[in-house]
Amino acid sequence: MTEMTRREILKASGMAGLALAAPVTATAQSKEPIPIGALSPLTGAGGSYGPDMQRAVAAVIERINKAGGISGRPIQLFTEDDQTSAEAGVRAARKLIDVNKVVAIVATWASAVTLAVKPLCVEAKVFIIGVSGADSVTQGDHKGYIARTQPNTNLQGRMYGKFVVSKPEWKRVAYMALQTPYAQSFGDAFGGVLKGAGVTITDSLIYEDKKPSYRSEVTRVLATNPDLIMAESYTPDAVVLLKDIYKAGYKGAILGPTFAINAKFIEGVGPEVAEGVWNMDRAPLFDSPAYKEFSAAVPRGDDSPYAPQAWDQMTLVALALAAGKGEVSGTVIKDNLRTVANPPGTVVHTFAEGAKLLREGKKVNYEGASGSCDFDQIGDILSAPFIVQQVRRGKSERVTIINP
Amino acid sequence: MPPIAQYVFNGVVTGGILALPAVAFSLLWRLLRFPNFAVSTYLTIGAYAALVLNHGVGATIAVAWLGALVVTGLVALAVDRITFRPMRDRRPFSLAIASIGVAFVLENVVRFVWGNDFRSYDVPVTRAMSVAGLRIGREQLLILAVAVVLMVLAQIFLTWTRVGIAMRATADNPLLAAVKGVPTERVIAFATLGGGALAGGAGVFLGMDASIDPLMGGGLIIAVFAAAILGGVGSAPGALAGAMIVGIVDEVGTLVVPPTYKSAIGFTIIVLVLLVRPTGLAGTR
Repeated sequence: MTEMTRREILKASGMAGLALAAPVTATAQSKEPIPIGALSPLTGAGGSYGPDMQRAVAAVIERINKAGGISGRPIQLFTEDDQTSAEAGVRAARKLIDVNKVVAIVATWASAVTLAVKPLCVEAKVFIIGVSGADSVTQGDHKGYIARTQPNTNLQGRMYGKFVVSKPEWKRVAYMALQTPYAQSFGDAFGGVLKGAGVTITDSLIYEDKKPSYRSEVTRVLATNPDLIMAESYTPDAVVLLKDIYKAGYKGAILGPTFAINAKFIEGVGPEVAEGVWNMDRAPLFDSPAYKEFSAAVPRGDDSPYAPQAWDQMTLVALALAAGKGEVSGTVIKDNLRTVANPPGTVVHTFAEGAKLLREGKKVNYEGASGSCDFDQIGDILSAPFIVQQVRRGKSERVTIINP
Repeated sequence: MPPIAQYVFNGVVTGGILALPAVAFSLLWRLLRFPNFAVSTYLTIGAYAALVLNHGVGATIAVAWLGALVVTGLVALAVDRITFRPMRDRRPFSLAIASIGVAFVLENVVRFVWGNDFRSYDVPVTRAMSVAGLRIGREQLLILAVAVVLMVLAQIFLTWTRVGIAMRATADNPLLAAVKGVPTERVIAFATLGGGALAGGAGVFLGMDASIDPLMGGGLIIAVFAAAILGGVGSAPGALAGAMIVGIVDEVGTLVVPPTYKSAIGFTIIVLVLLVRPTGLAGTR
């Protein structure tokens, strides 16, 4: 278990604070620190991921401050727990924006939280970047203050579809999705690929959260005789749903997102129910230099893609600030994000490399731990690799990597 | 479309689990004159008590279940002593609000000690049997049987035993009962202990049927509330019938309304009953 307690996070941020105060860097960093917020779920459905994401952010900041900070100014990290809940997320974001005066919020996870916090950030001209997948995250008039390193649901749905149609034994597919902002758009993109390949969608059912049982939903779906059930869930409901599917005697295949079919899920349902469940997710760029540095700095128990993304988000924010020639604000970050993330420019894998080239007036193109990190006009990333896994004997094992 | 009988059966099992806290909630409401919203959180307490016994001590699920009855009863009693007893004379509204506070505290104590992870008992998950085209789970049958037995025992207790009769007397007219020499506080203690035990037992069932997490019981409060109102506050058979109806309507409703609106069913029942028959099925008040 690599989960980090609140106390450890406090300690880590405290240590980051101590690092700032260290006398070695005192001359370079005598200026006022730049406040940055990390708003991630430490509890709730995303509680498996938020702690690692915040550790990744803290580790990057430690490196940035060691490398002299942004034009001599150190970064000060403020962490908050959004409890995977929009209400708690908004409260925490208000505190980060109004009290801590952060210029950027990084490492948000759930789409519902990012969507709720987005208007506050746009209004306060605070840059926000997270791993939320819902299409609406980057839609609307956000003036560029939002970006994400997670593929939008359209890209995700198409990648899941690409995998499903590669399996000739799956001819009848049922889609079951938790009610989320992305359930519909993901299902549309996923279904589009399937229909194009002649695969039948037998049923499409969106279900409610926090139910002790999904028996009747399962009864309806199983009546359509699917070969594969695509369960677009989070862990809490996946535990209940997949147990009910198992108890109902279904012997076909099940595919879900890895963020739901994770170690906690397997522990929750037991090895028999979890056996053979397919899961896929956006993959980190395992072979990249940035990923290697990330995994050395943030040891963890799984290969989930979120902490590497948080690592990249913090690095990108810092590089964008460094490109701002001394001025520090959310606006500087949004104006320079694509300058430091997209080609053309010298490929860099760390803040230190990038900041040095930027000081020399050169252009840089950051390639991160989670992928090439190139953004389009609305703030979506252009591509991402996906990893397919299957639960075997109580552990998810890597089966294949699917490239766009 | 599968036969509607499958949905009805599913609803009966849901109803069986709901019935235990619904009866406790309904009787305590009548006796203490306020809706104790912490009752549904007692399910969580029961589930975790059994989890500790089942995982920590290695007790079988049956022993763990009995342990959960005792622990949850005692927790309910402690809550009553610490929170509700000093507030006996207050308005029901204040007590109801206090019970919501208790629910929060208990839930977060559980969260603090055991964390947010989903857990399950050390019992194998079994595939359902197929009986006459119906899928029936073994645990479901067991849960239903034990729930029915508990209901019968509760009814016998209330009708035939001295304490049960004293409980009903206090519920009907606390002042008169006290004058007649019924020890009110002791009756309340018994009822609280019993109500807590019922809810704790249901929590273990819910943990076996679904999964164990700190929010498992709290999420049921609307259904429990609806069942009690529908059955008529203070009536054990009424609460049982109410729980069955809420359970069945909840499941069969999946055929008519999109599953995303399932939660609305409980609320709709509450509103309809309050509009049409505020005393509930068995209520007299």
